[in-house]
Amino acid sequence: MRILMYTWEFPPLIAGGLGMACYGMVKALLKQNVEVDLIIPTREAVYFPMRTPEDADTLPVVFLDEKKQEEFDKKTFEDANERFHYIGITEAPETYKQVEEITESIKQAVEEEEDVEEQDEYNPGYEDVWENIAHHLMGSDDIFQKVQEFTLRAERFAKLLEFDAIHAHDWLCYPAGMIARKISGKPLVSHMHATEFDRAGGPGNPNVHNIEFTGMTYSDYVIAVSQYTAEMVISRYRIDTGKIRIVHNAYIVDDNIEKCEKRLFKGATILFLGRITLQKGPEFFLEVAKSVLEKHPDARFIMAGSGDMARKIIQRSAMLKLRNRFLFTGFLNRKEVDEILKMSDIYMLPSISEPFGIAPLEAMAYGVTAVISKQSGVSEVVENAYKIDFWDVPKMVKVINDLIEHPAKRRKLGIAGMNEVHQIQWDDAATKIKTVYQEAIDEFSKE
Amino acid sequence: MLNIVFYFQVHQPYRLRHLNILNARTAEDYFDNGLDQIVMQRVADRCYLPANQMMLKLLRRFAGKFKIAYSITGCAIEQMKLYAPEALKSFHDLMDTGYVEMIGETYYHSLSSLYDIDEFLEQVAQHKKMLKDEFGVTPTVFRNTELIYDDMLSNLIFEEEGYKVILTEGADRILRWRKPLHSYKNYTKDIFLLLKHYKLSDDIAFRFSDPEWDEYPLTTEKFVNWINKLTLSEQDDKNLFLNIFIDYETFGEHQWAESGIFKFMEKLPETVLVQPNLGFCFPSEVEKFTNYQPESITVPEPVSWADLDRDISAWVENEMQTNAIETLYELLHKIKQQNRTDLLRTARLLSTSDHFYYMSTKYFQDGDVHKYFSPYDSPEQAYIYYINALADLEEKLHENPHETDIEEEKPA
Repeated sequence: MRILMYTWEFPPLIAGGLGMACYGMVKALLKQNVEVDLIIPTREAVYFPMRTPEDADTLPVVFLDEKKQEEFDKKTFEDANERFHYIGITEAPETYKQVEEITESIKQAVEEEEDVEEQDEYNPGYEDVWENIAHHLMGSDDIFQKVQEFTLRAERFAKLLEFDAIHAHDWLCYPAGMIARKISGKPLVSHMHATEFDRAGGPGNPNVHNIEFTGMTYSDYVIAVSQYTAEMVISRYRIDTGKIRIVHNAYIVDDNIEKCEKRLFKGATILFLGRITLQKGPEFFLEVAKSVLEKHPDARFIMAGSGDMARKIIQRSAMLKLRNRFLFTGFLNRKEVDEILKMSDIYMLPSISEPFGIAPLEAMAYGVTAVISKQSGVSEVVENAYKIDFWDVPKMVKVINDLIEHPAKRRKLGIAGMNEVHQIQWDDAATKIKTVYQEAIDEFSKE
Repeated sequence: MLNIVFYFQVHQPYRLRHLNILNARTAEDYFDNGLDQIVMQRVADRCYLPANQMMLKLLRRFAGKFKIAYSITGCAIEQMKLYAPEALKSFHDLMDTGYVEMIGETYYHSLSSLYDIDEFLEQVAQHKKMLKDEFGVTPTVFRNTELIYDDMLSNLIFEEEGYKVILTEGADRILRWRKPLHSYKNYTKDIFLLLKHYKLSDDIAFRFSDPEWDEYPLTTEKFVNWINKLTLSEQDDKNLFLNIFIDYETFGEHQWAESGIFKFMEKLPETVLVQPNLGFCFPSEVEKFTNYQPESITVPEPVSWADLDRDISAWVENEMQTNAIETLYELLHKIKQQNRTDLLRTARLLSTSDHFYYMSTKYFQDGDVHKYFSPYDSPEQAYIYYINALADLEEKLHENPHETDIEEEKPA
């Protein structure tokens, strides 16, 4: 079985959790003999044919242009980074055509194949699904231009490559997946890692909503990363329940973690780790800190990360006169994240809406006791963590006070959580995803 | 007769590193010695050395007819010793002429007068001792950090031995209909007040090289002409004081040498002294020259020389500044209570007003000035690093110090 996969992130190209999820997933799929042709936003028109689990780390590359392939084959690279740089992985696409030009090109590309398939089967309520998707790619932001570029290129891959099914991650890749489906006639599985409602913490960008809706509607199957996300896909996007499958994310535990005894602070250390943005509920963390510090002034609250709400939270923490007990680290690199997790006692994820949320698993892997929002996918897969509604500040305060007052209980829960996280494997998730592929392929061959 | 009173402020803070809670483990690590060294050496090259050389020539040439006063913070003296000893020597050379007066202030350039009176008096005493040790003088004139002044300050300084005069800002709201050219007194205590003439001071300090300014370029002749006009309003033969109070770094650092600031100053004494009704005096000579009953003024709310507001809002206005400074003084209090002399110096270095200045979020004109002086990208960053330092320092307070770790407080 071979899958044509479109994703916006894959290591080393990582902006958020999507990249790591795709990596874990692809590697586990390769172990189960699913071959993947991976396409990510690169400057050069290349794809990554992966056949063995090691390929997920080495990223073998093929250029669409034969001349460029010859040039590439002749070159020697000092290290992986230099090779990635050559392909243009770390950089955004350099040249953008005019918006209209690209939109027109997408339409043309589709129209050429027009007679292959019937028009209306997958787009209830829309006269022309392509007009719709092209219309909604007309955003003014840079990201929309990048998506257009990516989508246009998707067509070439779909024509050239041999595959059994298409897998597209998140809205950024939905238009690409749709074009590939249209051109190849192969089934499309779209993967919902986060909806615009989650990201925006409110209504969000209507163009993105429309791309999400159209993309999922046009897909043969939709994989949601949690029950929580599946419910959102059903209630907010009215997607046919019958084609939704839930596959929880997993987490690759680093075997080298050692819980060190070195502490940052004598008092209990409570950590927020992630982007400081509305979706992650930083204000609730601050509210909890205020109440807990009234009872336990020796506790220390650390907000690690950066984001558009950082300034507001910094100023508010000062306004609440939290003294030197509410601290900020700014953006942390991998090594610093490792250090701060080792030195923390309690991890809090007060997200307003978290489709999955990998960070608590990471914290638990370090033996840190996790207190997580019920409005998250991750709360569906772990037992040894407190799950509380993000808005229920009094309850969070009660739980954290209790954990501070009972360190033995805290440690016991931390160890149980650590053991639990080791059981959450990508292999299980890959098995489920493979089944979804198989279902889609079987249905298609029947037709 | 109008006496021009020149007082120059010399100060350099110890700047905090971009301090992360993960890497702050020794108090020595808090401060960015490398940056302090670069700044001190740059300012010495551009300002202290050439300006002192110029002043030395002028003082010798006019042999007592031209006089100036300095206030130099303990932090600045320490950093000169460390990074620019030749600059310190040049100040000694100035002192040796006998035509220079040293003014007292807080050793650490702190806002302690507003938050912790005991600490304030200790820092004032420490600065007094430094002046004695370093220059062999005892000050009779006091200036508080950034010319911050309110009635309470007179009460405090009056109780300290030797002080007779306080310098502060001639803010409109305390002068109202009065001129800054007279000497004044505190309304209850026998302390003279000299008030900065902010118009003429700021013409030199801020506007001198501004091509947008109507009066640009400012020549010595033009400036002295303005001064001469000031005396016309006075008819009762009262002696007047024109108080030009500016940062010494105005020469060569804030106003570059290319702007002509040195030439402007070099010509000033001779241009002034040919006028029969103009002269120079030390701030301490105010009592001698006051030939009238000074009016007393009251200042219930603090004034300062900073920004357009001329109040304390440059340092304690927004919530970050308030939380930071309150946390510092609480911590300082605990450190003293527990007699942790090993931590006291660090806490005092954190009391320097510049740390709070960097956290200012004022916009428009003033914000530019704040930004120019800040080693950080934003007020929030300055706040984060500062709070991290206080968190770490408090943690050290909780640790039981090993006996070998305790070091008596010693200046660098």
